[in-house]
Amino acid sequence: MTTIQTGAETRRSPRLTDGVDQDLRHLVPEGICRTFRVMPYASVNGTVLVAAADADDAITTQVVAERIDRPVQLVRHTVNEIVAAIDAVYPPQETEVETPDARRARMQMAQMLTRSGLITDDQLQRAMLEYSRTGDPLGDILVSHEAITEDVLVAALSEMYQMQRVGLAGFTPDFEVARRLPERLAHSFQAVPVAATDDLVLLAVARPLGAEQAAEVEEALGSPFRQLLANRIELDQLIQRIHARHYAEVSTRLLLETRPEESAHIVISGGQKAALVTTAIVIVMGAVIWPLQTAIGVVAACSLLYLVVSFYKFRLTMRALGTHLETDVTDEEIAAIDERHLPMYTILVPLYREAAIVPRLVRDINALDYPRTRLDVKLLCEEDDEETVQRIRDLQLPPHFHLVVVPDSQPKTKPKACNYGLQLATGDFCVIFDAEDRPDPDQLKKAVIAFTRVPNNVVCVQAKLNHFNQDQNMLTAWFANEYSMHFELVLPAMGAAESPIPLGGTSNHFLTAKLRELGAWDPFNVTEDADLGIRLHREGYRTAMIDSTTLEEANSQVPNWIRQRSRWNKGYIQTWLVHMRNPFSLLSQTGLKGFLSFNLTMGSAFVLLLNPIFWALTTLYVFTQAGFIEQLFPGIIFYAASALLFVGNFVFVYLNVAGSLHRGEFGLTRTALLSPLYWGLMSWAAWKGFIQLFTNPFYWEKTEHGLDEGHG
Amino acid sequence: MSTVNVVHTKDRLSGIVQSVGRRPNDVSRRWWESALVFAFFTAAYTWFGYWVVVDMHVVGFETLDRLNRALMVWHNDPAKLSAIGFDYPPLATLLIAPLAIFRGLVTSLAVVPLASAVFAAFTMVALNTMMRRALVAGPLRYAVLLALGANPMVLLYATTGTRHFVWMALVVAALGALFAWYITADVRFVMLAGIAFSIAALAGYTSLVFFLLSAVMIGAILARLGADGTEVEGTVVGFASPTVYVIALWTVFNLILLLNPFAWITRSSDAAASGGLETFSAVELLRATGELVLYGAPIAIIVLPALIFAGFARGNPFALWLGMMLGASILLPSAAVVLRLTDSPMLMRNSLPILLISVIGAIWLARSAEEGSTLVAALVVVALVISIPWTLQAMKTYRYQNLEAPFAAAITTGESQEGAQTLNREKVGIVSEQAMAKYIANNVSRDNSILTDNAQTYAVMMLTGHPEYFFDRIDHSDGPWKVAARDPGKYDIDYLLMSASDNGDLLTKLYPDAAAGSDAQLQVVYRTPRYVLASVPAGFEPGGVTTGQLGAS
Repeated sequence: MTTIQTGAETRRSPRLTDGVDQDLRHLVPEGICRTFRVMPYASVNGTVLVAAADADDAITTQVVAERIDRPVQLVRHTVNEIVAAIDAVYPPQETEVETPDARRARMQMAQMLTRSGLITDDQLQRAMLEYSRTGDPLGDILVSHEAITEDVLVAALSEMYQMQRVGLAGFTPDFEVARRLPERLAHSFQAVPVAATDDLVLLAVARPLGAEQAAEVEEALGSPFRQLLANRIELDQLIQRIHARHYAEVSTRLLLETRPEESAHIVISGGQKAALVTTAIVIVMGAVIWPLQTAIGVVAACSLLYLVVSFYKFRLTMRALGTHLETDVTDEEIAAIDERHLPMYTILVPLYREAAIVPRLVRDINALDYPRTRLDVKLLCEEDDEETVQRIRDLQLPPHFHLVVVPDSQPKTKPKACNYGLQLATGDFCVIFDAEDRPDPDQLKKAVIAFTRVPNNVVCVQAKLNHFNQDQNMLTAWFANEYSMHFELVLPAMGAAESPIPLGGTSNHFLTAKLRELGAWDPFNVTEDADLGIRLHREGYRTAMIDSTTLEEANSQVPNWIRQRSRWNKGYIQTWLVHMRNPFSLLSQTGLKGFLSFNLTMGSAFVLLLNPIFWALTTLYVFTQAGFIEQLFPGIIFYAASALLFVGNFVFVYLNVAGSLHRGEFGLTRTALLSPLYWGLMSWAAWKGFIQLFTNPFYWEKTEHGLDEGHG
Repeated sequence: MSTVNVVHTKDRLSGIVQSVGRRPNDVSRRWWESALVFAFFTAAYTWFGYWVVVDMHVVGFETLDRLNRALMVWHNDPAKLSAIGFDYPPLATLLIAPLAIFRGLVTSLAVVPLASAVFAAFTMVALNTMMRRALVAGPLRYAVLLALGANPMVLLYATTGTRHFVWMALVVAALGALFAWYITADVRFVMLAGIAFSIAALAGYTSLVFFLLSAVMIGAILARLGADGTEVEGTVVGFASPTVYVIALWTVFNLILLLNPFAWITRSSDAAASGGLETFSAVELLRATGELVLYGAPIAIIVLPALIFAGFARGNPFALWLGMMLGASILLPSAAVVLRLTDSPMLMRNSLPILLISVIGAIWLARSAEEGSTLVAALVVVALVISIPWTLQAMKTYRYQNLEAPFAAAITTGESQEGAQTLNREKVGIVSEQAMAKYIANNVSRDNSILTDNAQTYAVMMLTGHPEYFFDRIDHSDGPWKVAARDPGKYDIDYLLMSASDNGDLLTKLYPDAAAGSDAQLQVVYRTPRYVLASVPAGFEPGGVTTGQLGAS
């Protein structure tokens, strides 16, 4: 146990001016030294002497004691002596050192809140420690940890800056006035005109604007303005209300208007229709004139598709089994991150009829190892989902959570909601998590570090997905097997090969600016994630994998699973059709390797359609020895089909086993052996999705969450 | 609210004994070295094998049978995958099928040595990688490989196209993977071992014994390291499932096609189908086992006790397991006799697995010796070099053998062994087959025009390079063939190809006069010492053929 000594001995102790012991100089991190004005400098009889500006301060005493695993004695020194010593040990970076004014403001805020009894010493200590790491405003930190409310902070700031406040809770805006400030400025400065006279605009702001910002605002408004401090949460809601129409328009039509050839609003292009009809006519004519030969030709083509898709997947998994292909980030590197340099991170969480999950979601996001003051969490709700919206409002979340209500319009899809949220995003990076997702706590930091490692053309980092309820039943175990293979083996190999990666539905981390540049997600595509992965590859960008996992809830009920999977398959075919509208353009953009990889990856959706046909033929032949079936598989086709049946099928079963072993999920290996039953379900879903592609192409088969045993 | 206990990656992996998800420290990959070792031994064995087979005429008929079946996989009319049959483990034939895509390579006999050389070379690559992991210095590694590669038993089976190196190469690869697993704890090596064993199982059923011992070892070692039940079970399932799958599949095939799920055991060419197994007393078996080790793999006499000592006295479980594997390989031949699973008891070739596992054991001992590893590796080289003349001498006189004596005679005298007799009184050589094949190739061009019992005439069929000329027992299975054999005239048959002597050839049994050249209707058009080609005249009416004669065969 560390002991603290203060008092008479102090006068006999060495002083900081005698120099700082080399072994002690880095004993306390820079942030803490500067925040608490302390510096360890000497060791006497095993006791570390720490220079402190306020040697009697209980919080300072405790913070220092917790970081030095030896007896500690705080020795009073002047502020100048300590700052000089800190500067000598940690040469100051101009932008990172707190200015005297800022320090004064911080101390004033701390005193105001503690003296008025609004926060406890513990809360202050925690906030000060976070401040020492991040350098973020103390008030924001306290609000993010729910030590005080945003209203209290606004009141305190108003006192400090001697600014008037404005309450926006029940405010009905004059849209004409409010829109005098363009959306771009309103969003980036968090400011909204709330009233205007002929010569003055009253501007609600989240924080006092700087001189440059103020000049820009004045120019945009065309008149002088006066700032009124507002609650950030209320202000954010007001900005959304004022610009909702614009956001809705952009989220639906941006890709459609800027890159219509990449939008899935049309399922099959004219050229594709012509090609399909021609192929169908040729096959029908062939079937009439040369029925057997035509049938053999079709079987051969299907077998070839099977073979090459299987071989490609096998090759990928073998490569991943032999090497570690993900971008590696160690625990030490994460621990060494200077949080002052961490970027703002936007987390988009689409929610629909998931009110029950919201508290858990909030808990899990707050559990992320990332400063809350640098999180920009967008809870994306649909307008007609009043229950979820109300639940979020009831929770009175701190301002790093933003309730975003997407106006009701068609198509009502997850990508449209994400596009909507992206326009409001303030993060340099952004990521999508589903409501039930539980990412590894250090995932955001890993992604930030990974982005510094990967080549410049990497704009997306995909984390692995798996399931937390894999033990619930056979279906969830199979699902976990499948994800283990896909995310542990297939995607890392594709990433390493710089192939176009169909992104997973969540946990894909983007450079926000690049994502916007790409036109974000296609609201008409029901696997917008896969589509975006291909689109960014076509633009010359790449995706890398990181070794971090997000646990999701695996669908535990067959009908719900079928709905989800049918959407995925429909989306895969939709994506294939979109990008194959002009195969030559795709080829020229992705190169031959990328082109083949894309087609072979998407080909798996077609293989799922073929499976039941081949299984039926095999079963029929085993029981009837029907001659016509034998005729369909002459010579080499028979060998290829046999190899696929007996070797290929097992190889894929075993790759499921391998994926689970590779992940260390030893309990799943047994169920992996039964995965052919799972393939049956996959084919069922594939056919449902395929039929729906023609009957209801943009319909979003919503997956119901919260079916894991914990909800039972 | 959910009460599901979510365990994040870091916490989940903290309780796992093995290394998962990432590649732990291991020797660096050196593809070029593996490629060089492979190329060297493939080239050396093929070159030497070509001399042994083509010039010295030392070739096993079983090899020709498998190559004939491989030829039928591609070139029969129609192409027949089922030609691989049930006499041999299926992969023993399928794995060499690619060599038979081009007929010319088969008829020239160039592929015969290649059919075993590639697998022997693969074995050397696996051993070299093991030695790298055991930190044996480069020169010593190559010395071990050369000394082992020059062992006359290895030479014989690596160069004459036999199937034994097919499964042994895969078993050695599997053991190499487990060797790597034990050193690195990387779970991927368990999977590799599992896959290697599954292929080995269908290339040689003996490998199943080593597979079972390995499965037990994996479980035991994991349990000893403190792995929980889930990890032990999952790992063993991951290891065993490929082999279990292939064996189950093969059993189902046997059930469907032969109505006997275990025909792959009872009908195997290695099994006691003839019932002519020599009787051994326990003492005789013991002595025969001792001789097998003494002459075929004398190094085992030192390695086995050393492994057991290291296992028990030094707490080295992998050494103990290798000792068990070596012990099993020594006991297997006599166990096969006791269980009557062989009609070729105590053959000298059984010393090959003993020799290879001894070398693996020695490599592990070298690794375990740490500072003394160089000394141990050097001693292994010396022991292997000394055993070369010792084993060569034994091959000339060892009682239970195939082509060991002719092979030893060929390499010591440099003279062709055509016409020589093996110690079990079989004729060596293929001149008779080559002559008949040449005649057929020059005079026959119509598909399915020669009726023959391919079980006896496969060498001729193979050497013609045209299995489609023959109406054999594989084309339409035994039943239709027997019907055609009784009345070949009705099946548009031009010729009957028979063995000259009654050695089990069904056609010879049906038409003994024709085989003897005294049948008035079935005139002999060409004859060699071992084969007869008789023409079937138009409107041929068989006389005196009864179903009993066929049924008795």
